[in-house]
Amino acid sequence: MTKPVIELKNVSYRYPDGTAALTDCSLALVRGSRTAVLGSNGAGKTTLFLHLNGLLHPAQGKLLFDSAPFDYSRAGLRSLRSKVGLVFQNPDSQLFSACVREDVSFGPMNMGLAETIVRQRVEDALEAVDLLDSADKPVHNLSYGQKKRVCIAGVLAMQPELLLLDEPMAGLDTSMQEHLTGILDELHSAGMTIIIATHDLDFVYSWADEAVVLQQGRLLAGGSPTEVFGRADVQHELGGEPFVAEIARSLSLLGIDLRDKEYIPRSTRDLLKALSMHSTKQEKCI
Amino acid sequence: MLTEQSAYTNRWRQVSPVAKGCFACSGIVAACAAGSPRAALLAALIISTVTIVGAGIPTIRYLRVAAPALTFLLASALSLLVSLDFDCTTGGMPFHLAKSEFPRVAAACSRSLACLAALLFLALTTPLSDTISLLRRCKVPDTLLDLMTLCYRTLFVLSEAVHETMVAQSARLGYATARLSIRSLGGLTANLTVQIWQRSQALHLAAEARGNDGTLRFLENRYDNSWQHAIIAAAAGVLLILFVVIL
Repeated sequence: MTKPVIELKNVSYRYPDGTAALTDCSLALVRGSRTAVLGSNGAGKTTLFLHLNGLLHPAQGKLLFDSAPFDYSRAGLRSLRSKVGLVFQNPDSQLFSACVREDVSFGPMNMGLAETIVRQRVEDALEAVDLLDSADKPVHNLSYGQKKRVCIAGVLAMQPELLLLDEPMAGLDTSMQEHLTGILDELHSAGMTIIIATHDLDFVYSWADEAVVLQQGRLLAGGSPTEVFGRADVQHELGGEPFVAEIARSLSLLGIDLRDKEYIPRSTRDLLKALSMHSTKQEKCI
Repeated sequence: MLTEQSAYTNRWRQVSPVAKGCFACSGIVAACAAGSPRAALLAALIISTVTIVGAGIPTIRYLRVAAPALTFLLASALSLLVSLDFDCTTGGMPFHLAKSEFPRVAAACSRSLACLAALLFLALTTPLSDTISLLRRCKVPDTLLDLMTLCYRTLFVLSEAVHETMVAQSARLGYATARLSIRSLGGLTANLTVQIWQRSQALHLAAEARGNDGTLRFLENRYDNSWQHAIIAAAAGVLLILFVVIL
């Protein structure tokens, strides 16, 4: 088995007001994987992310990066945060500078890189999110979707090994969501480990290699999306299952089994393809 | 917002901030060095013409941006010129014009106008982020500049929050009567106070997440022909100063 890049071992955390945000959470993420963290509001998704970036210290348990425990010293945190990039949900609470290009340079400048390298990284990051045209615009004149992309560029410019995105699709229109999915696919094929907190079951089903479900700060389930969404307790906690999974299940009850050996359709496109293949097969039989 | 709009769209957007800063400073020096109110007024006229014609700022917008400062200047001039006399021992009007003060008021007003023109030149042609990096080069303390950066950014975030809250309040008849308006304004203030606190916490977290440990550092914009522009601006500045001194 591949060695995990980041691990949580029995991590517990309680906010100062007494709310238990994480309770005995254990998790291991493999390098280059795509993980989705699911759970209702207040389940502990954001708290988990704040731990992974070293912004919160666990009250109990420990976190490991490349099998070494997190180093919470100033230098240790600096190195951790340059490897683990975190994009928050609300773009307005993480953009500092009034100018797009300047804001994207914030992370790499904090890493103490030489100016020429920073300049190159900023251009590359802006290109990756397709924002080179808006590089000199003031941040407050951008749309919500563009601001969100500036935030992602700001973290990409730090060239992290791990990218944490807190509800990146929230508030984006369908075309912007597709665009963002495209960016994520490119990053994944470049070898980046990506973790996303989201409520979008359909997106998780089609995109993730691994799904993790949190319930009131506890780990309810973890594994491949087909396995996780098949569980009744998960369906109950999340209030349903992905559309494609539901349709496929209903069809199988009607005697139409779309599964082909190991293959299970996970997106609408796959489902339609499987259906058309199934009908061709049926015609041949007749 | 008008200033902001001009700063990003004017004809001299791509001219180095060093050059623009140089010319603005020369303007202030010229205002102080002017021997007579007439010279200072001429300096103000030259600088505002350069801003309107050179940088292509629409005259109406220029006047609208200058209006608050001009009103303030007018009020100060009047308070210097007119003195109130409550004793009424002299009879007649309870206030009278201090004619002896006139030369002093003219000098102060003309100088203020020239200084205002110089500052407006910088504000309307240079985005604040460029001005801040220029100040950083001039070795202004980092803490001050960080405050400027955050204030500037927060200004927009908060004005949006104010707008959204007010719209939400109006939608539920929050401003239907004078009584309700006062109530709603109170609610808005309380809500904003909490929002400011929460947003500052969020900004702090976000800065830490991106590896920040104190000073806010950004990449400076690069400008082509920076030196040529600075030399031209400096020459224009020196000419302006010589002009007002000789006049």
